[in-house]
Amino acid sequence: MVNLTLRFVACCRAADLRISTAEVLDCVSQLDLIQPLDEEEFKLVLRSNFAKSRREQSRFDQMYHLFFHEMQKDLSKVTHDPDSEQARSVIDMLRTEESDDALGKALTDFMDGDPMAFVEEVHRIHTQEEQEARALRSNMSQLASRLQVMLRINRMKNKVLNFQGGNHAVIDKDNARRIADSLNEKLDNALDLLNNEPQPDNYSLREIKHHDVKYNTIGEIPFASLSQEEIEEVRDVIWKLVKKLEEIATLRFSVSNRGVIDIKKTLRRSGKYLGVPMEIIFKDRPLRKGKIVALCDVSGSVWSTARFMLNILYSLQECFSKIKSYIFVSDLAEVTDFFRDNDVNEAIEKIMNDAPVNYYVPTDYGMAFQHFRNRHMQELDKKTTLLIIGDARSNHMNPQDLILKSMRERCKRVIWLNPEQEKFWGSGDSEMRTYKSHCHEVRPCGNLNQLIDFIEDLII
Amino acid sequence: MHHEHFFSCPSVSDLIIFPVSIGLQFFVFSLFLKQGFGKDDHEKPYSGMSRIYGTTKKAGGKADMDFQSVQDVQEQLEAFSYIASKEISTVVFLAQATKKPILVEGPAGVGKTELAKSVAKCLGRDLIRMQCYEGLDESKALYEWEYAKQLLYTQMVKEKIHDVVSQSATLKEAVDQIAEHEDAFFSERFIQTRPLLTAIRSEEPVVLLIDEVDKSDPEFEAFLLELLSDFQVSIPEIGTIKAKTHPFVFLTSNNYRDMSDALKRRCIHLYIDYPAIETEVNIVKLKLPGMDENLLTKLVKMVARIRDLDLKKKPCISETLDWAKSLVILQIEDLSAEIVSETLNTICKHRSDYEVVRRNILKVVKD
Repeated sequence: MVNLTLRFVACCRAADLRISTAEVLDCVSQLDLIQPLDEEEFKLVLRSNFAKSRREQSRFDQMYHLFFHEMQKDLSKVTHDPDSEQARSVIDMLRTEESDDALGKALTDFMDGDPMAFVEEVHRIHTQEEQEARALRSNMSQLASRLQVMLRINRMKNKVLNFQGGNHAVIDKDNARRIADSLNEKLDNALDLLNNEPQPDNYSLREIKHHDVKYNTIGEIPFASLSQEEIEEVRDVIWKLVKKLEEIATLRFSVSNRGVIDIKKTLRRSGKYLGVPMEIIFKDRPLRKGKIVALCDVSGSVWSTARFMLNILYSLQECFSKIKSYIFVSDLAEVTDFFRDNDVNEAIEKIMNDAPVNYYVPTDYGMAFQHFRNRHMQELDKKTTLLIIGDARSNHMNPQDLILKSMRERCKRVIWLNPEQEKFWGSGDSEMRTYKSHCHEVRPCGNLNQLIDFIEDLII
Repeated sequence: MHHEHFFSCPSVSDLIIFPVSIGLQFFVFSLFLKQGFGKDDHEKPYSGMSRIYGTTKKAGGKADMDFQSVQDVQEQLEAFSYIASKEISTVVFLAQATKKPILVEGPAGVGKTELAKSVAKCLGRDLIRMQCYEGLDESKALYEWEYAKQLLYTQMVKEKIHDVVSQSATLKEAVDQIAEHEDAFFSERFIQTRPLLTAIRSEEPVVLLIDEVDKSDPEFEAFLLELLSDFQVSIPEIGTIKAKTHPFVFLTSNNYRDMSDALKRRCIHLYIDYPAIETEVNIVKLKLPGMDENLLTKLVKMVARIRDLDLKKKPCISETLDWAKSLVILQIEDLSAEIVSETLNTICKHRSDYEVVRRNILKVVKD
């Protein structure tokens, strides 16, 4: 039992489930307390120890199914059916012919009941990053690796077919077919594993779909189609909103739960009244402020939303401990300094004019995330809210959503604001569905009413 | 740290040097008013943040009863009106047997807190509950020095202090002599225990519920680590306090933010989802035995359909119960579209949700 568990743990680790030795120890000791032959209980013990959040459970379930169901025939080697000897000889044959490289070896191991090397290979392909090409961008590297595995699986299937069609002195036709079927089934499983990457169950995702209609006409016009006059009007509304929110935040600060009594100051003040402590001083507890990191897509229509968002965020600087902002199309640049040196509206104009990024390339979210991770990951900590403003239209490039996952792991919340309305998410080249599973909150934010809703939610 | 201020200020010697004892009395009195000192003892240490439940001892049983098997957990919880799935009962059984905390995750209102309460009832233990929120710190969760009591005692033993220092020739000597008695003022006597310390120091084992731990700050989460792995806490002036008995710890989370790996590693994980239709029917039946079964099944199915709509807040089990109760009170026997829209405010807590359900009423009511 212990060995079996350890092999399963190794397999889970290959699929990027983080399992510590302490958890393995706990699990093994708990297996003594239940009836391990009751599969439901057995699975529950493993799951409650190895998948420590709902998000990891889908990955765990996939591994559990693979290891204890699809591979089960090989686990129960004690039961000796007449086919197994012959099936083994076929696998041995494949092994001698195919194990000249790591992939072939991993696949033959997989057919032989040891999925670890193949799981590792699949995980490597799923997390493969694009190389930054100088001339031509592509999303080919991951697809190429995938194709290679698929071709290899096909080749092996052909070999199994040859075996089935061949003349065998000892095996009759029926047996050969059975063996071929079971081997083909294994290869299909391998293909499934490659093609069906389980998405984490993001049950706690907040999806905001409705908004209050506060301003009838101006509030409902998409930012992208505002005329110059309307832009001014929106700015006015934003300015009023900012003042209102600042007031609320200050008020909250002054009445926020006062700290404990400050004996030092109280005794000092009492000196004025012959030692009678007439005034009792309490320590103020400073309001906890969060840090904001904003990533704004500045291509095409998204910029019209991003500019208003940046306008509001920087007007409300007082309410946050720090704001860092970045813009991206494909490469990413920090624009925090623009706001430090200029007035908010001037800064926004300047960003547009002295563009620190190249606007004339197709948007590539994956590459932008990769840049952020390589250069600015240290900006994220457990008190940071990461705001991403963009339509998630990545021109069919590799979305590299696992980088977003690692960003999520470092910060407090990830909120995605999409200027497109919800019905368009996931259509065409939109990767919103993929990214959604790594966010804490997603909401459409394409007009003033939606923006106001979001800001009030963030501050109050 | 607040007590450091008290410690570093020349408070004790000051008090002696201050000639005005009336002033001090007034001070102490005003502290009573501010801190509510002298109120009922049961309310004092928790000041509205958490509560302690009275022990529900089992008739004829020992105060601390253990679960014997997974089956036993399921049966005992059901006896206290909590219908537990096999998953829940297995995890509870394992946690109790291995003395590990349980991290319960799930959407709001599926019975995470209720599970802890029911387990406390089954085991006949007290439940100590600590509600987490942003800004929760050690002085609210663990302990706080009772400044008022310290000052009051200083005042009462002033004569004695006078005796101690009367023989000393210089001021320095006087301060040294008082310093020798410092321990008297920083002892466990003057500690106001907050929920975590109460749970640890309890003579009888308790159930400790740390509710909505995802709402607390990362600092507080880090602070919990020592408590959860070794069942001990460190107080700088006194030392490390080890648990006399092992509390049964539940942590609940709505996943507002992700918990750290270190915390997750110390717990057994449990995810509770919205119950299946039959389970929910059983839950309502248990709480409202008089209700007509057909109506009940229809109602639970409707709630499940409402949960599938795009709502700000999905109705939870307690809202199903509220709705069922109101139907019983109104003596309604069949659920038509009109009746559903009239009684909808028991399950829809947002105006926009109310409108969404109204718009989809035919989809909800269909058989």
